[in-house]
Amino acid sequence: MIEINKINKWYGDFHVLQDVDEVIEHGQTVVICGPSGSGKSTLLRCINGLEPFQKGEILVDKTSVKDPKTDLYKLREKIGMVFQRFELYPHMTAMENITLAPRKVRKWSKERAQDKAMELLKRVGMVDKADAYPANLSGGQQQRIAIARSLAMEPAYMMFDEPTSALDPEMIKEVLDVMVELAKAGMTMLCVTHEMGFAKEVADEIIFMDKGKIVERGTYDDFFNNPQTDRAKLFLSQILD
Amino acid sequence: MFDVIGRNFVFLMGGLLTTFELAILALAGGIGLGMLVGLARLSKNPWIYYPITAYVNLLRNIPLILVIFWFYFVMPIITGDAMAPFPAAVIAFVIFEATYFGEIFRAGYQTISKDLTAAAFSTGMTYSQTARYILIPIAFKRMAPSLITQSIVTFQDTSLAFVIGLTELVRRSSIVDNMEVRSIELYGFAAFVYFIVCYTGSQISLYYENKAREVNLI
Ligand SMILES: Nc1ncnc2c1ncn2[C@@H]1O[C@H](COP(=O)(O)OP(=O)(O)OP(=O)(O)O)[C@@H](O)[C@H]1O
Ligand SMILES: [Mg+2]
Repeated sequence: MIEINKINKWYGDFHVLQDVDEVIEHGQTVVICGPSGSGKSTLLRCINGLEPFQKGEILVDKTSVKDPKTDLYKLREKIGMVFQRFELYPHMTAMENITLAPRKVRKWSKERAQDKAMELLKRVGMVDKADAYPANLSGGQQQRIAIARSLAMEPAYMMFDEPTSALDPEMIKEVLDVMVELAKAGMTMLCVTHEMGFAKEVADEIIFMDKGKIVERGTYDDFFNNPQTDRAKLFLSQILD
Repeated sequence: MFDVIGRNFVFLMGGLLTTFELAILALAGGIGLGMLVGLARLSKNPWIYYPITAYVNLLRNIPLILVIFWFYFVMPIITGDAMAPFPAAVIAFVIFEATYFGEIFRAGYQTISKDLTAAAFSTGMTYSQTARYILIPIAFKRMAPSLITQSIVTFQDTSLAFVIGLTELVRRSSIVDNMEVRSIELYGFAAFVYFIVCYTGSQISLYYENKAREVNLI
């Protein structure tokens, strides 16, 4: 369980997160949407300790992210993260990308890490690309490898930061299919995305952020059919055409 | 006319060997230390950033020949022990070249996106694992042409060690010249040897540059 308790973050004078509150229960999929600059990426980066925040508290399985005694490296092992621009290691093959952390962090043998990687490549439908370099893969293929790389650490949580927004339309589905399958298999997920079809299919809750605040939250039907704020209405009308 | 070279060939080649030994140690040390200097130059920790930045700015604004002199003449005063020319030259070169290689690596690290580093951290890798397996190898590949160019410059610069009496190629040429007074042939030969080594190096650099552009892999 991830508990976000009234966190506040500033970049200098700029109040980027304001009293953000949220609880993500085990097995849930939460979708975060909102206009550019509303603080969605910043929120994800606070959860796994990539960015510090000044006020409030985040607990991951009751472990405080803010506590200086917390081993952030250990904590990050259980929170996978997928990025808009894939961020595969360009000098490594798909297989090497996936096996690096299990081998260096978990100290798995090469064989064990490769067995795990093959299982994941199968899961994301990329077995034949094990030895390809990122530059020779399409965006959709790179993103599926990136998902496999995160899953290789056997995380309890997965965070996605606009995983399909850098993709050509014909590749979006292949990535969403993998994410839907993950959600249905019971992974706890936090997804920043504007793919409302995905939200409809798997989201337990949708959070709408604007200017560093959560201004609306609810189920897909609540949010989609009955938005409360003008900001959300405007946002929905923009992403629907 | 070139009989003077033939007669002294073994002696001169012994000098070239010293040149190579110095160059290899200077490059290994300079590049190795440079990788870390480049990381330190991007550090958010002021205790790391400021001292290393001061060191880089200091050394990059002093002529190499003075750095060599300084190590040779001043270090013994501090340590109380006279230093042989070869180790003095190696230390001076490593410390000097690391600042130049450090700036090349810094530029290489800066081509790596913040999110790529975040991706590595998000799998639980530590800073040093990320540096070792991600940042350094990528910077190495992307900056290969500049690294080779700087290596060629370093190789040429090793001739400056003759000022502290290191008997490398140029020094040995001058020793023979003092006995036989055949400056044109001797220094011509030394220049030719430097040219061959450096030209080969620059061609290798060009090859990698073209290959990198073609493949556009990294
Ligand atoms: N390192 C930083 N220093 C100062 N301001 C920053 C920094 N990083 C982000 N910001 C600002 O914080 C705000 C929130 O950024 P964030 O990336 O979290 O937004 P986002 O909701 O993910 O937007 P997008 O949809 O464009 O990805 C933006 O206005 C951004 O300019
Ligand atoms: Mg963002």
